[in-house]
Amino acid sequence: MAMSKNVRQALGLTGHYSGLILFAIFTTFPFLWALASGLSADASKMYLFPDGFWPHDASFMWFERVFQEMPFLTYTKNSAIMSFFTIIGVVVVSVLAGYPLARMKFPGRGLIFVAIIATMMLPSEVGIVPNFITLKNFGDFGNWIQESLGLGSSWNMREWIGLNSYFGAIIPNFAGAFGIFLMKQAFEAIPQDLIDAARVDGATEMQILWKVMVPVTAPSIAALAIFTLVNAWNDYLWPSIVMNSKEKLPLAVGVFNDLTGPFATSDNILMAAIVMTVVPVLVFFAFTQRYFISGMDGAVK
Amino acid sequence: MASVTLKNIKKNYTKDVTVIKNVSLDIQDGEFVVFVGPSGCGKSTMLRMIAGLEDITAGELYIGDTLANDVHASKRGIAMVFQSYALYPHMSVAENMGFALKLAGTPKAEIEERVKKAAEILEITHLLERKPKALSGGQRQRVAIGRAIVRNPKVFLFDEPLSNLDAALRLNMRVELSKLHQELKTTMIYVTHDQVEAMTLADRIVVFHAGLIQQVGTPLDMYENPSNLFVAGFLGSPKMNLLEAEVIAASATEATVKLPKGLTVRAAVDASNAKVGDKVTMGVRSEHIRLVDAGTAEALPARVDLIEHLGDIVLAYIEIPGINQILCVKLPGHMTGLKYGDDIHILFPREETHLFDAEGLAFKRVR
Repeated sequence: MAMSKNVRQALGLTGHYSGLILFAIFTTFPFLWALASGLSADASKMYLFPDGFWPHDASFMWFERVFQEMPFLTYTKNSAIMSFFTIIGVVVVSVLAGYPLARMKFPGRGLIFVAIIATMMLPSEVGIVPNFITLKNFGDFGNWIQESLGLGSSWNMREWIGLNSYFGAIIPNFAGAFGIFLMKQAFEAIPQDLIDAARVDGATEMQILWKVMVPVTAPSIAALAIFTLVNAWNDYLWPSIVMNSKEKLPLAVGVFNDLTGPFATSDNILMAAIVMTVVPVLVFFAFTQRYFISGMDGAVK
Repeated sequence: MASVTLKNIKKNYTKDVTVIKNVSLDIQDGEFVVFVGPSGCGKSTMLRMIAGLEDITAGELYIGDTLANDVHASKRGIAMVFQSYALYPHMSVAENMGFALKLAGTPKAEIEERVKKAAEILEITHLLERKPKALSGGQRQRVAIGRAIVRNPKVFLFDEPLSNLDAALRLNMRVELSKLHQELKTTMIYVTHDQVEAMTLADRIVVFHAGLIQQVGTPLDMYENPSNLFVAGFLGSPKMNLLEAEVIAASATEATVKLPKGLTVRAAVDASNAKVGDKVTMGVRSEHIRLVDAGTAEALPARVDLIEHLGDIVLAYIEIPGINQILCVKLPGHMTGLKYGDDIHILFPREETHLFDAEGLAFKRVR
């Protein structure tokens, strides 16, 4: 029996949307669960299904408790500082490494690129021990400078660049194969004419890079910044190894240290803290997403 | 303003790949020279070498009196317009035009003034604040030209600047480029594969083929006296009709050649070097083939294969029995009576018939 066109269309759309809705639920349910638990003053329903997915006895009590139980603002400030400088570091390294790989001819170019990509195959844990030793030596070096210059021990330069420093917690993330690969691809996509035009206009190689190539690849840089932000913001393992003073911990480590474990107060306060941890990233994304869409329009043809 | 002199210029990409074989050329101050040739003939590479975007493998390039081989592109006093326009997408039109001046450290007020003046010449003043993506193809091309004008260069280089425009716009811009040259009187070197652009714009045309200059001359001279088969076939639309032939009589003022099937044609050329029996190629342009009555002396029989009415002219594609080649005849627009299959008679006028030897070199025409 032939179905009418409308019925078939309706069935198709229903299938389409139910698929999308299922996927949306699948990806958002951890956040929704955390949000519902954080907003529930009644903690007893948290692990019940489906009751756990909406607030019971809704209040902001747990969110207020977060500020009392742990130095949330200090952690946020630390995370912000570390993420900001990680983004700067990653973008600068990726741009400076990606541009010659994409646009300059020099012997060994292919080999260098393969070596960089090969580091993606290694688990990041492999770097923990060598990085830790390197940082310890950095700290010793800082200390040596401090003593050579005859500065007092209050300068504590060991903690500027060594263990327990912001610098130490973020520096291993600067040179990432992903960022270099992404920027290389972006620079390769730029037409040669644009570079030639800048060269005829009198730009030096560095001016071509910063005044033409970087603005034109802004969408890729924005994408790289977002990825880097998410990674840096959520980075847990390395900072937890490097940092040993509470006032320098980032959010991910601080929330874990203060709100979980045998002496933890409640799971609801943990959920409230998690929600508050995620929000800054979402806000940043909301403000930067328009940069993803503008790009090469109007440059050539 | 400056002259440009090329002395034995060569360009190799690798040891075996030679794109420019040996090019020498003098371009006068204020001249409009067009490099023309098929794709891959080396004309764009030549232009890019003049611009300083490609290294010169051997030979000398002078811009004015300065040896420019190792001078940076920005210091050569040239400005280039690219086929793809190559506008900076993140800058407004005014910023695009002023970029070179800004890099050179020109005071802001002067940049503004020069941009404004160039914009007035090109009538794009109302577009100065826009970004390239908000412009049409023709407007972008104007901005690209404006960017070149602002720099006040000694030499303008154009790399197929009109190829991305539609036919009507291309015609407009062609006229405007001509006017611009009249106005600025700057040396201009223009690369194109379009022989119509070459014929209409150039003071002198340089025909490139396979990394060599085939011929240099004024458009009309090149059209009337092509020095070899390549130039003869390349310039002119429709193409020159070319037929294989054999010399049966040769003198200093005339050659008689035999086409297959015993048909003979006379050409007014200096054939004193030719011998009877030499293989040659005979050429005649479509507008010179005459339609004649059956009884006319030296008339050749032919049959109409196809007629194209273009309004102002009629193009007739005809075949001479026994010769498997289609010839094109350009006739006045009122000759609408011809149709497929008509038997006609044609005449190759003696004074308008070209002859090329087995190497493809033209015999000198006698007129």
